[in-house]
Amino acid sequence: MGRTDKMNPLLAFWTKYQKQIIAALIILALFIIGEIATGHFLSIDQFFLTVKVAALVAMFGLCQMICAASGASGLDLSVGYVATIAAIFAARFMDGKNENMLVGLLVALAIGLVAGAVNGFFISYLRLPALIITLAVSNIIQGIINVYTAGAKIDGKPSPALVTIFAKMTGVFPNILIPLAVMAIIAMIIIYKTKWGQELLAVGSNETSAYLCGINVKRVRFTAYVVSGVLASFTGVALLAYMNMAFKDMGSTYVMPSIAAVVVGGVSMAGGDGNYIGVILGAIVLQTLTNLFYALGLGEAGKWVGIGVVLLAVLIAYVREKKKR
Amino acid sequence: MTETKKSPFLPKIGKLLKSPSFIVICILIVMLVITASLQPGFFKPNTINSNINSFAPLILLTMGQAIVIIAGGLDLSIGYATSMMVVILTNVMQKDKPESAIPAILLAFVACILVGTINGLCVGYLKLPPLIVTYATSYIWLGIGLFIAPSPKGTCIPWVRTFYTFSAIPNLPEGLKDLSKILAPGFWLIVIGCIVWGIVRRGRTGRYIYAVGSNRENAYASGINTSKTQLKAYILCALFAFLCALFYAAQNQSGDARMGNPLTLKSVAAAVIGGIALEGGKGSVYMGIVGAIIYSIVTKIIFFADISSSYQTLVAGIVVLLAVSASLIFKFIEKREKLKVVK
Repeated sequence: MGRTDKMNPLLAFWTKYQKQIIAALIILALFIIGEIATGHFLSIDQFFLTVKVAALVAMFGLCQMICAASGASGLDLSVGYVATIAAIFAARFMDGKNENMLVGLLVALAIGLVAGAVNGFFISYLRLPALIITLAVSNIIQGIINVYTAGAKIDGKPSPALVTIFAKMTGVFPNILIPLAVMAIIAMIIIYKTKWGQELLAVGSNETSAYLCGINVKRVRFTAYVVSGVLASFTGVALLAYMNMAFKDMGSTYVMPSIAAVVVGGVSMAGGDGNYIGVILGAIVLQTLTNLFYALGLGEAGKWVGIGVVLLAVLIAYVREKKKR
Repeated sequence: MTETKKSPFLPKIGKLLKSPSFIVICILIVMLVITASLQPGFFKPNTINSNINSFAPLILLTMGQAIVIIAGGLDLSIGYATSMMVVILTNVMQKDKPESAIPAILLAFVACILVGTINGLCVGYLKLPPLIVTYATSYIWLGIGLFIAPSPKGTCIPWVRTFYTFSAIPNLPEGLKDLSKILAPGFWLIVIGCIVWGIVRRGRTGRYIYAVGSNRENAYASGINTSKTQLKAYILCALFAFLCALFYAAQNQSGDARMGNPLTLKSVAAAVIGGIALEGGKGSVYMGIVGAIIYSIVTKIIFFADISSSYQTLVAGIVVLLAVSASLIFKFIEKREKLKVVK
């Protein structure tokens, strides 16, 4: 910090937001490559459509970012099924009526809270690996969904107001960007301006020194997973409105891209980093890349190889661990 | 790990009771007893044969995963790497051309070495975090698999089917025929795996793998080439994926590039159940086999206990959660032992 004060402001801005600027440049470059190759890739419509699809990945990315920020190789593989179960119950309680919206939302958030608390308890208080615990919780929730759907049909619809917020477009502008922007602002304020946010980053970057500073490390990490669970269930409601229905595996395809978005956005998975704008940019990079590969006619195979190679390149560029040996 | 030959018999039993493996093996025995009482004809050759065949792929992958985890890494690409090799095997082979199996197996083997080398280079030499880097490479394997076979297709030549069933060999001697009815090829693949690991474990590389996994800095300071050791561990892991791919190619006789996806996290979970700590340097690859059997038996029990199959993932999740929590008990015992020494 002290060093950047003396630099000229432009350079300081560059060193601070380097990775985010690079992500934005990659998006621009991808659009230009697409335009040159196909001739109908770079347009406002196309951009907003890309961002609309990327918005849900970015929302799940916030869960991953908060877990990753709390350190101890944190991540949350359960977000997909937490979102699914939240969406199923929200749909049931909302039943397509606006007056039931609040009940449905509260039920969904309560489910997320419980799932997050289970994750947090095992990971933070019992110090078990996040990868395994969130996977197991994910399996358990998937099992609960299977058992539930074996006995009852998934029915119900999201409330129309939510559909307007998350799925409709105003002209070329997708409405989902407004809740995403609100989420981004709140997330940035909470992480950078509140005590909890600062404690979270402190725990993630160095657990021992955070403990010695009097931070309750276990509680902070526990709340990180609870927040992740609640956000996942909220995203589940958004997903429900986006698709206008709930089904069995609706959230599971978003889990891995959400982790990739965090990495591509230049946010460290090792902890102590919390720039949500980077995650949003990362999600847009991935979606643009997917669109580009489809536009070039490379299909599924090209898309996956491309995403893999880009992820690997990003990792080699920024995520070199600092151990020399 | 530290066996002292001079110690009398009784303390040895005490040590055994306190070792993590003991409880895992107890769980295995309990589960086997439950399965045996539920599955009709558990000890009949046919049943043993089919059980071995349904457990073999996960066991092989878990052994590979265990080696990497012990070396301080993790391989999330193992599932897609396996299905990529299956796709290569089944699509290079041509129907009615028995000789085309040789280039197929060779190509798949080259792919296996490449998979291990790329993962190993990224984790060992470039020092990228294993969790994310192998996740990134898994997409590349998936993409290559889809490039070769966009939808499940392929074929398998009769003699290659020996990797799944010995009945593919036309004139087998009588004595061997009876044995092959009980012990399926899957069993022999696991035996091959055990022999390979047994040789490596006894040699220098085995010791280095444990050393690097438990403390990379110290291993480096004692003159071990840590990067090379991790590279070797990843190549070994890919070899196990290759064995598994041979089995799948023979079993399914077609290649699906997405088939391996669920196996990845299952292999990690099975390794953890077998008492292999994700921090690295702890546990034994053979216990990975036990973990894999426990994991796959859970679904068997649900099937035979007449519980609706919709409970399968639920119970599997709970078992993983319980098994991982059980590892806390060992940590607690270890701590108490250390305190005793201090006193």
